[in-house]
Amino acid sequence: MIKHMILRNILYRPVRTLITIIAVGVEVTLVLTVVGLTSGMLSDTAKRIEGIGADIMVQPPSASVFMAFSGAPMPIEIGQRLAQIKNVQAVAPVLLQFNSTNGLDIIYGIDPVTFGQVSGGFVFHAGHELQAADDILVDDWYAKGRKVEVGDTLHVLGHDFHVAGIVEHGKGARLFVLMSTLQDLSGARDKASVFFIRCDKPEQTEKVIGLISALLPHYEVRPLRDYMSLMTSSNLPGLKTFIDSMIWLAAAIGFLVILLSMYTTIIERTREIGVLKSLGASRSYVVRVILSETTALCVAGIVLGFGMSYGVRMLFLAVFPTLTILITPIWLLKAAGLAIVGGWLGATYPAWLASRKDPIEALAYE
Amino acid sequence: MGVPSVGSKLEPILKTENLWKVFRAGSLDVAALRGINLDIFAGEFVSVMGPSGCGKSTLLHVIGGLARASRGRVLLDGNDLTSLGDAGRTLLRRHKVGFVFQRFNLLPTLDARGNIALAQHIHGDGFDPHRFDVVTQMLGLRERLEHRPSELSGGEQQRVAIARAIINEPKIVLADEPTGNLDTKNSENVLGLLRQLNKDLGQTIVMITHNPEAAAYGTRVLHMRDGLVVDGAAAN
Ligand SMILES: Nc1ncnc2c1ncn2[C@@H]1O[C@H](COP(=O)(O)OP(=O)(O)OP(=O)(O)O)[C@@H](O)[C@H]1O
Ligand SMILES: [Mg+2]
Repeated sequence: MIKHMILRNILYRPVRTLITIIAVGVEVTLVLTVVGLTSGMLSDTAKRIEGIGADIMVQPPSASVFMAFSGAPMPIEIGQRLAQIKNVQAVAPVLLQFNSTNGLDIIYGIDPVTFGQVSGGFVFHAGHELQAADDILVDDWYAKGRKVEVGDTLHVLGHDFHVAGIVEHGKGARLFVLMSTLQDLSGARDKASVFFIRCDKPEQTEKVIGLISALLPHYEVRPLRDYMSLMTSSNLPGLKTFIDSMIWLAAAIGFLVILLSMYTTIIERTREIGVLKSLGASRSYVVRVILSETTALCVAGIVLGFGMSYGVRMLFLAVFPTLTILITPIWLLKAAGLAIVGGWLGATYPAWLASRKDPIEALAYE
Repeated sequence: MGVPSVGSKLEPILKTENLWKVFRAGSLDVAALRGINLDIFAGEFVSVMGPSGCGKSTLLHVIGGLARASRGRVLLDGNDLTSLGDAGRTLLRRHKVGFVFQRFNLLPTLDARGNIALAQHIHGDGFDPHRFDVVTQMLGLRERLEHRPSELSGGEQQRVAIARAIINEPKIVLADEPTGNLDTKNSENVLGLLRQLNKDLGQTIVMITHNPEAAAYGTRVLHMRDGLVVDGAAAN
């Protein structure tokens, strides 16, 4: 019976119902997209860095796990000192640079020889290794997404590069240029952002980390084997704050829209609430009616939000084909829970007001 | 149901003792009821008349448990309303009282069937299709059940409201000017139905009206003035 009444009620005011549902849908979409985008970027980066095949990564003091965000470069001579450490097989210095032309990409400035030693070399789909100063390598996903072919000219960092080769994805970045070129472009002569290290045997990783830490106290020295597990937003304080504020913002939207919508609803239906009370409906019955109606609106909004999230993801991927947006079951649940709980909180005050209305005053309401 | 027994006539179904209702309007106290003593017996159809503002609606609200008495006692089917809190009066309304209003007060979003079923749902004893059929048949609503209030005439709306009021077999039906918004033909129809409910089902009814012809449908007419019942002569 309540179900029937609620359905009738929400259909009775189709515009308001629609607006409320859309607001809840936006709330859900915002959460799923922000979380999906950041966790997608993180896991993508993590996977690619793991994919380099190095055992150890050395960064300057207090560098972020999400290394692309921390430019602070180190003198390149450190690489020679690292190479002399026992059981270190190869050291590859890499200079990182963000490119924001046509979406966000990380560019690795590499020395093809040492990078090859550490990573086992690129698998070439087409073209050849970096040779000239204006050569650039792109990975197969980038090539596919941007329709880039060997021999094309690629405009990055304000320069025209010549696409020398297309390589298998998963080696840290999607774009590679010679380190010397990147050093020139970014004014970071003789600097590196990170050193990737390969040990003689993987089992020696722990020991080598100990030696490096002794040599370079305060530097960030991390094993790469479980790098993925480090790449979570909680390890990135700034990012976590950003995600949390977006989630709160989304929840606030849902809360306020439901509050307003249910508030106007109960004012508009004052006389009906009086009728319910004259029929002997208890306060809890009235509260249940309001909360059930809220739930129905939220559920509709959640379904819409799920659909919109996948829609937004498709749109994003159409524009930025190299992006990853992770929509996980856990976050679908969390976003739905957030919408429902936010909705209930928003409906609490109107429901309380409604349940306390004096029946005679309510019946006399015009 | 059925004709009330002689035994049940001895104990009034509704009794008020020195009933007062005082409204506080700003710093001013307005006494709407000033010590009403009233006995209404099972099976009676009582009409209440009196000038505007004499306290008729207030009386109905207090004896129906919608409002609290300021002083005195109201006994409804043996329960002392004045000792009950909000929750207690809610329960009493749910199980013992059926209200009919001048403005029908149907829920606009529900069809006739939904409006009647809502009362059953609030009552909570599940859906009794037999009672539903009897009541809707008697009130001539069988063909109109799937219509919303906006698709029904005033007379039909009031018949739905009456069906809603009696669907849970209340001890007493309290009607506040039920024909106040109806034309003569529909008024006669509704009044006839109330009389039929009273006669055939033994339904106890208290009805407020301004119209002496309407009042004559009752088995007794009460006259009120300035918050008091001024006579209680049985009509015949
Ligand atoms: N909530 C209230 N606050 C203050 N005074 C009230 C309130 N409700 C009713 N009154 C006063 O109580 C008195 C009785 O009102 P009531 O509505 O019972 O009269 P009535 O006999 O039903 O009149 P009518 O025939 O016009 O419906 C009136 O003087 C009215 O102004
Ligand atoms: Mg009145």
